[in-house]
Amino acid sequence: MSATGSLSVRKATAEPRWVRWTLTAVGLGFLFFFLGLPLLAVFVEAFAAGMPKYLEALADPEARSAIWLTLFVALFVLPFNVIFGVAAAWAIAKFEFRGKSLLVTLIDLPFAVSPVVAGLVFILIFGAQGVFGPWLAAHDIKVVFALPGIIIATLFITFPFVARELIPLMQAQGKDEEEAAVSLGATGWQMFRRVTLPNIKWGLLYGVILANARAMGEFGAVSVVSGHIRGETNTLPLHVEILYNEYNQVGAFASASVLALLALVTLVAKTVVEWRMRKETETLDAALPPEKTE
Amino acid sequence: MSIEIRGIGKRFGNFVALDDIQLDIPTGELVALLGPSGCGKTTLLRIIAGMETADSGQVLFSGAEATHLHARERKVGFVFQHYALFRHMSVFENVAFGLRVKPRKERPPEAEIRRRVMDLLKLVQLDWLAERYPSQLSGGQRQRIALARALAVEPEVLLLDEPFGALDTKVRKELRRWLRRLHDEMHISSVFVTHDQEEALEVADRVVVMNRGKIEQIGTPDEVYSNPATPFVYQFLGNVNVFHSRVHGAWAEIGRAGAEGGAVPEGSPAHGDAMAFVRPHDIDIERSPVAGGLESSVQDVHAIGPVVRVELAHGSELIEVELTRERATELALAKGQQVWLRPRQVKVFAAPTQPLEEGGSGI
Repeated sequence: MSATGSLSVRKATAEPRWVRWTLTAVGLGFLFFFLGLPLLAVFVEAFAAGMPKYLEALADPEARSAIWLTLFVALFVLPFNVIFGVAAAWAIAKFEFRGKSLLVTLIDLPFAVSPVVAGLVFILIFGAQGVFGPWLAAHDIKVVFALPGIIIATLFITFPFVARELIPLMQAQGKDEEEAAVSLGATGWQMFRRVTLPNIKWGLLYGVILANARAMGEFGAVSVVSGHIRGETNTLPLHVEILYNEYNQVGAFASASVLALLALVTLVAKTVVEWRMRKETETLDAALPPEKTE
Repeated sequence: MSIEIRGIGKRFGNFVALDDIQLDIPTGELVALLGPSGCGKTTLLRIIAGMETADSGQVLFSGAEATHLHARERKVGFVFQHYALFRHMSVFENVAFGLRVKPRKERPPEAEIRRRVMDLLKLVQLDWLAERYPSQLSGGQRQRIALARALAVEPEVLLLDEPFGALDTKVRKELRRWLRRLHDEMHISSVFVTHDQEEALEVADRVVVMNRGKIEQIGTPDEVYSNPATPFVYQFLGNVNVFHSRVHGAWAEIGRAGAEGGAVPEGSPAHGDAMAFVRPHDIDIERSPVAGGLESSVQDVHAIGPVVRVELAHGSELIEVELTRERATELALAKGQQVWLRPRQVKVFAAPTQPLEEGGSGI
């Protein structure tokens, strides 16, 4: 190809300057109005009455209880998500069995169903008039309008994240390495820990971060099952809503700012993991050196 | 360790991958499973390794039942087509893996592991790559590391699935000679799967030719090449001219034109539709009419390395002949020239009820 060839290629792919500027402006404008401005507004409103008021709002026992509850639920749900996600992805990616596509569809169910509906389903199952209601009441176990209900609803909402992240990854990796490990004498656990887990660790972490972000921010499903008992079953998103409805601007936005901070931390963690993942796949799939013959 | 395969059958849905396979692999032999893709050779290898379960039949190791033995207890070294090296481990750790996962009681101490791994890496001549990662190696190097890794657990059987399939020609030739030497030094039984007949004929003590889930022939490389048992083997091992003939007593009418062909060997079908097989290098070309010669015209002459390939037409049939360079110079063939063909060796089979599978590439 001559110089004219490469010149014409450059011409074909490069848009005129004004088109490039307009597109960039539209993109940045959208980002600013829909992401930047709301985030800014949260902090501006939170600090509107000054730092002391802000800290006071966060020191409020109910706010503290909401923060702790949110963190506790997110942490509690995490191991379940890891175990279920890895197990489901493992089964789907490495084995052929009847009903596999049904399982894949079921995993996506929480994404497809409205969270409010999901919450209602748990009321129907565990509520006083629900399927297990009388039995639970007889044994004095509280599920709905209590911590277990919040955990169950959060689990339902977050469980697809890890599996969704891992299935394509594990499918792409195939099962050759696992078979090699077994033929070398590894037990199932050794194979998983020494071969499978190192290969999926960044994908797993990525899925966990996404699930965690969702667990902390979930409103709909938790709102239905929690019962909004202040200081007991009020998570941070629910607390924000309550305060806002009481015209407590500073309180609502102070709590919202905590949520926003958690989101920012998640975002940073996600970016770091993504960067590590890309770096690792790049080194692992590095172009082969030319074949050497000795 | 010897391996005995007794009536192994395997289906995938409606597809019959293996149909009543009987095979004995004595201790110390290097056996090639040869066949086109989809013939079941890899499935058979994986059943021997315990990575696939057979629907029926038995696998015996040294005469002992091993059909339901778990893959990890079979003492089998498996080398994968795409190497399956552990990508996140260094070359050293890859080879050490089999030793490190041993139960605590059998696990050798660290110094011993180090020594054994380095010995193996020296054996495959790659000890200088111990700290590298698989992604930093070439294909040929990866395959040798995969082999070293399989040998680390001192297997009694080495199974290789298309071991050289993903390598380029030059590396492939080197590696297979090297595998042959290694096999002789290690005193183990080895089975390797290949679709490359040249590879099978060059490396193996015995070749098992498979097609459509069945064994077509078992024999030494010379036996299967010079004396193919079935039309499939004839076509799969090297180039061949196929003549559709009608057998009359001792003579075969070769070609639709009905010219006379070679003598029918004993044991060939006496009457009915038959096919005659002649290798391109088993045909001689004469410039003048000879008794029993097949008249044909020269279509094309190609000099390919040490041989000269001549394409001829006999009626509507295309015939391929391979001559030495000397003979070709002597004949000085020109396009369109009338010549007479004399087959030196013909093999006649009854016409198959099923169409033949595509043959392999020429040698």
